[in-house]
Amino acid sequence: MENLRQESISRLLRAANRLQKDPAQYSTAPAKAPKVRIAVLGSHSIQHFVKVFNLFLDRAGIKAEIYEGEYGGINMDVLDENSPLYQFKPEFVLIFMRYNDIQLRSEKDLETEKAYLKSIWSHLDKIPGVTILNTNFAVPMERPFGTLEADYGYSTLTLFRELNLSMTKDHPKNVRIIDMEYLSALYGKENWFDEGNYYLTKQGFGLDYLGPVADEVTKMILPSVGVVRKCLVLDLDNTLWGGVVGDDGPMGIEVDPHNPLGEAYRAFQSYVLSLKQRGVILAVNSKNDLDVAKEPFEKNPDMVLKLSDIACFVANWQDKASNMAYIAKKLNIGMDSLVFFDDNPAEREIIRKFCPEVCVIDVPNEAENYVRALNEASPFEWAQITKEDMARSDSYVENAKREEMEASFVDYTEYLKALEMKGVTGLVGEDEVERFSQLTNKSNQFNLRTQRYADSQIREMLEDDKKRCIYVSLTDKFTQYGIISCIILSAPNEDNGCEADECFVENWCMSCRVLKRSVELYAFRAVIEEARKMGAKRLVGEYIRSKKNSMVENLLPSFGFTVVEKTEDRVRYTYDLAKDPEGEVWIQS
Amino acid sequence: MDTKLKLEQVFREVFDDEEIEITDDMTADDIDAWDSLTHVQLVVAVEEAFNCKFSTVEVMKLKNVGEFIKLIDRKTGNA
Repeated sequence: MENLRQESISRLLRAANRLQKDPAQYSTAPAKAPKVRIAVLGSHSIQHFVKVFNLFLDRAGIKAEIYEGEYGGINMDVLDENSPLYQFKPEFVLIFMRYNDIQLRSEKDLETEKAYLKSIWSHLDKIPGVTILNTNFAVPMERPFGTLEADYGYSTLTLFRELNLSMTKDHPKNVRIIDMEYLSALYGKENWFDEGNYYLTKQGFGLDYLGPVADEVTKMILPSVGVVRKCLVLDLDNTLWGGVVGDDGPMGIEVDPHNPLGEAYRAFQSYVLSLKQRGVILAVNSKNDLDVAKEPFEKNPDMVLKLSDIACFVANWQDKASNMAYIAKKLNIGMDSLVFFDDNPAEREIIRKFCPEVCVIDVPNEAENYVRALNEASPFEWAQITKEDMARSDSYVENAKREEMEASFVDYTEYLKALEMKGVTGLVGEDEVERFSQLTNKSNQFNLRTQRYADSQIREMLEDDKKRCIYVSLTDKFTQYGIISCIILSAPNEDNGCEADECFVENWCMSCRVLKRSVELYAFRAVIEEARKMGAKRLVGEYIRSKKNSMVENLLPSFGFTVVEKTEDRVRYTYDLAKDPEGEVWIQS
Repeated sequence: MDTKLKLEQVFREVFDDEEIEITDDMTADDIDAWDSLTHVQLVVAVEEAFNCKFSTVEVMKLKNVGEFIKLIDRKTGNA
């Protein structure tokens, strides 16, 4: 039973029974394992849970002594301070509640329930040093209001959501919330709630989820008695980015947001960054030359993680096990505080063998599954996350910016201003050609003529002095979009039918991610400038109707172009280049 | 495999007793460890082994092992 969470419930119960009957034979917790006294109380049946929970604790290396409350006996145990619960002197009290314990039909009911919870908690607080783990409520599936549930503050579902939120926001320091709402949503409420079993046996949630719930609660208890992992040690090549920086160079590695694989690596970096922002220390352990390994962090703008995010950067050609010891020493933490994430199974095996205290994550083969793997392993379970932990990172600054921005949503113009957009326009060169080609060939909606080009054709145009390939890239305070618009201008030729002093807009497309941001107008200014440089007096443009591009039907007239010729599926326009463009642009160059 | 034999295997696993031999008129009274708690376990294990799902009424109506076998056969289309 390597991974308990994935075991079928009947196998779990069987193993749990055996452990209960004959701990001497079936326990795997070390003889010196810490002993914890835990009381489990529930408004519904908790007997099966207690068995499975005991198994999970044992496998996590904890010897537990468990007090099992009577079915539905929360009040009996808690409110009477002479009850066996108080005599048991638990270090942890688990309280399982279920939505049908209470009636939430009005704000008044909500206040009553909040007050009830507070009174339970304050009673239990008389037990010295106790930590209370109280479930929140898996929000039920029933919707008496139908689709109107989410429209009203006084619908049952909304009131449960509000109760959950108030438990999170307003609980004493020694209370932790077991997030049953998250778990029920994660596994799916349709299976989570097993009405048949509830009516038959008063099982509060589907038996299949005894394992996940036991796992969750074990994780909540573990940091108080066992090790706390503090530092994530990362490999680089094919872990933080695709490819090998030593071969592909800092710009050639795969972290490009326009490439699906690049996006996957960036998503992993973002997840890692969110760990750093909650106080996890980041370190690098890579087989590389130090200078080469650092280059992407310094030079590649698509990298989410920056050099300043890494507290200890180790890149050399030594074995990674020695490096791990060095990292622990350098950061002044134990080896058992380290978590290792490396795509290479051989490296993971070495660390498992030579640094058994280190938590080694099973990394899947596919980069898109990295986040899930690390999230599911959930190695950074702490007893609490303090403000100091959060302040360790720079996240406060960013949050403040967003809040400031939300407040300033007076109107759309204000919003555009607040985005602090910065743009770059220019002629396509070697660095831009790949993305230029990609966007030109895949844009359907914002695309005036929907012309498609082979890579080789685009490269030819770059050399052709009768063509201009213009790109526009954009950044705002939250996102780095990269190139989001591509325009091709051409001098008069037979195909475009322009006269000598005219310039033809052969193709114009834009990514829909940046619609209504004044990017079109920003691009148009660059077009005018370039056309003037080509010596043209007039700009000629066309709209060719496709099945998908109706959104740009009126683009050219909106810039002040006038119609020259019009057929069913094609409109030809002209624009006098002596005119300066109108309209506000909210993008700074 | 014959339903009875397969069910016997499930009984042996749930009650952790390789000696158990089931008969049609066997009831919870005949096995010491067969209480309301292990009954839930038994039902889940049978559902898992035979890949079927019992309703509340079906579980409530079970009187003995023979009826359990009939129910399983009906559920799995073996009857």
